[in-house]
Amino acid sequence: MPGGRAAKPVIIGRVYLLATLMSRMFEPPVQRLIDELTRLPGIGRKSAQRLAFHLLNVEEDEARSLARAIVDMREQTSYCSRCYNVTSGSECSICLDPRRDPDVVCVVERAQDIAVVERTREFRGRYHVLGGALSPIDGIGPAQLRIEELRRRTLDESLTELIIATNPTIEGDTTAMYLARRFKPLGVTVTRPASGLPVGGDMDYADEITLGRALTGRREL
Amino acid sequence: MRLSWLELNDFRSYVRLLWTPHPDVNVLVGRNASGKTNLLEAVGYLASLRSFRKVPDGVLVRTGADRAVVRGELAGEGTSTLIEVETPAAGRRRAQVNRERLGRISDLLGVVRSITFLPDDLDLVKRGPAYRRDMLDAAAVQIWPAAHRDQQEYERSLRQRNSLLKQMGNRADRVSLQVWDDRLAHAGGLLMARRAAVVRAVEERTGAFYRELSGDSTRVVIDYRSTWGAEAAGDPAGWQAALGDALAAARQADLDRRLSTVGPHRDDVVLLLGGRDSRIRASQGEQRSLALALRLATHRAVEESVGAAPLLLLDDVFSELDAHRSAALSRILPDAQTFVTTARSEDVPLRGRRWELSGGELR
Repeated sequence: MPGGRAAKPVIIGRVYLLATLMSRMFEPPVQRLIDELTRLPGIGRKSAQRLAFHLLNVEEDEARSLARAIVDMREQTSYCSRCYNVTSGSECSICLDPRRDPDVVCVVERAQDIAVVERTREFRGRYHVLGGALSPIDGIGPAQLRIEELRRRTLDESLTELIIATNPTIEGDTTAMYLARRFKPLGVTVTRPASGLPVGGDMDYADEITLGRALTGRREL
Repeated sequence: MRLSWLELNDFRSYVRLLWTPHPDVNVLVGRNASGKTNLLEAVGYLASLRSFRKVPDGVLVRTGADRAVVRGELAGEGTSTLIEVETPAAGRRRAQVNRERLGRISDLLGVVRSITFLPDDLDLVKRGPAYRRDMLDAAAVQIWPAAHRDQQEYERSLRQRNSLLKQMGNRADRVSLQVWDDRLAHAGGLLMARRAAVVRAVEERTGAFYRELSGDSTRVVIDYRSTWGAEAAGDPAGWQAALGDALAAARQADLDRRLSTVGPHRDDVVLLLGGRDSRIRASQGEQRSLALALRLATHRAVEESVGAAPLLLLDDVFSELDAHRSAALSRILPDAQTFVTTARSEDVPLRGRRWELSGGELR
């Protein structure tokens, strides 16, 4: 077999077998890139092949520029020492911004969630990136998240409010409940963004879960 | 609710079939392996996106084909719902309702309803409590589609809590355990309240149907009980409080045993026939009649609750009944579109359209 590697066992059926055979048909450097790309989230065999052949056909500079961008990103970024956002310095631009409210912190699961909240332009405080949500099935308990770091910040920075913007999943909701139990005794207000109806949409389009939550969390007009 | 037409492509033994069933009773007659149950399964699959034989989707694809396509239209009171499902031999199924992509299977709940009786349903009576818990939970979903989400939340939270106990035992973080307890109590309370409501909705009718079928005056009691000691607690808040207290009381035992020892996942539903536990003290015939009575009672309860009769799917039910019970069943069948399979036409004393199945064709 080309590449000199043993075929993986055929588990799924004919389609998978075909893909396995085809995937070993390329020259080793091409195959290596395809293998690397396949490890990325959301990229399957076919997409990886398309991307690899695209990169084979573009100007060499373009391919080099992509490779450099990946290396630079890894070499020139790290985590903010305060909030664990991605930064190219020791603290991120949000933590360094003197116009941000230093008393209110929005807690998110991942650094990319910060961009989502930022786009609303409704929040003027700082952030804290937990690094995930509680999920014993995946071996994630409080010690695996940046909860101790949040506790220290709450005390050191005399925070007045924590807005828990974890995902509205079972794990994200449970993490929010956990944080409320742990942090309320420290004298900080712990809040959770309301779930509600999509703005500009029809009631018809709201799924019953969102609608149910919107009804539970209704406000007097 | 009626199935107006059904189209099968490469589904099970069918290469292609276009079928316009009768709006009332359809009796599917055919020899063994003529594809009767496959056709019934297709109707059930369209209505629930799940095979009632509990097989993986890939098995539904005809051998040698790469995908099965099932389409059909369901007509209700002044409404019509076109459902299309494409099931590949490997990979994810795609479903459309009225030409719009269906995101989650649960979105179909509340759109189409069906009640199925299979020969295996004897298990409801004969086997362990899990079968009866599932029966109550499935009935709850037919009546309250939102119950599906609470059931999933309970199962997920339970798995998370058990993982925590299993990995950490007595070293488990107490605050984490407490929040999982809170989740479990919340979802579990809803689950239990719904099970209790289903029992209330079907108990009396199950008794009435059972007496019709058996021809005697046996009393049927459906006793929903918690092996861990929760008493009937009324509304969801009552059940939630009872479960929360029970979890707190069981805390040390759970830490020691590294699993969740209390909760609705350990409940039993005891079916009593004249005061005797039907699981161990009823004959096969009595058990079959009781299982059938339960399904019919559920059909009626769902119809009353949602205002439309679910489809009724009966697989090979008459062949196992004696003449008296067959006649009784044909008397008590609901006014619903019904699909009945049989190997012997004469076993089924029903008026309705008879369809002969042979070689993948319907006549």
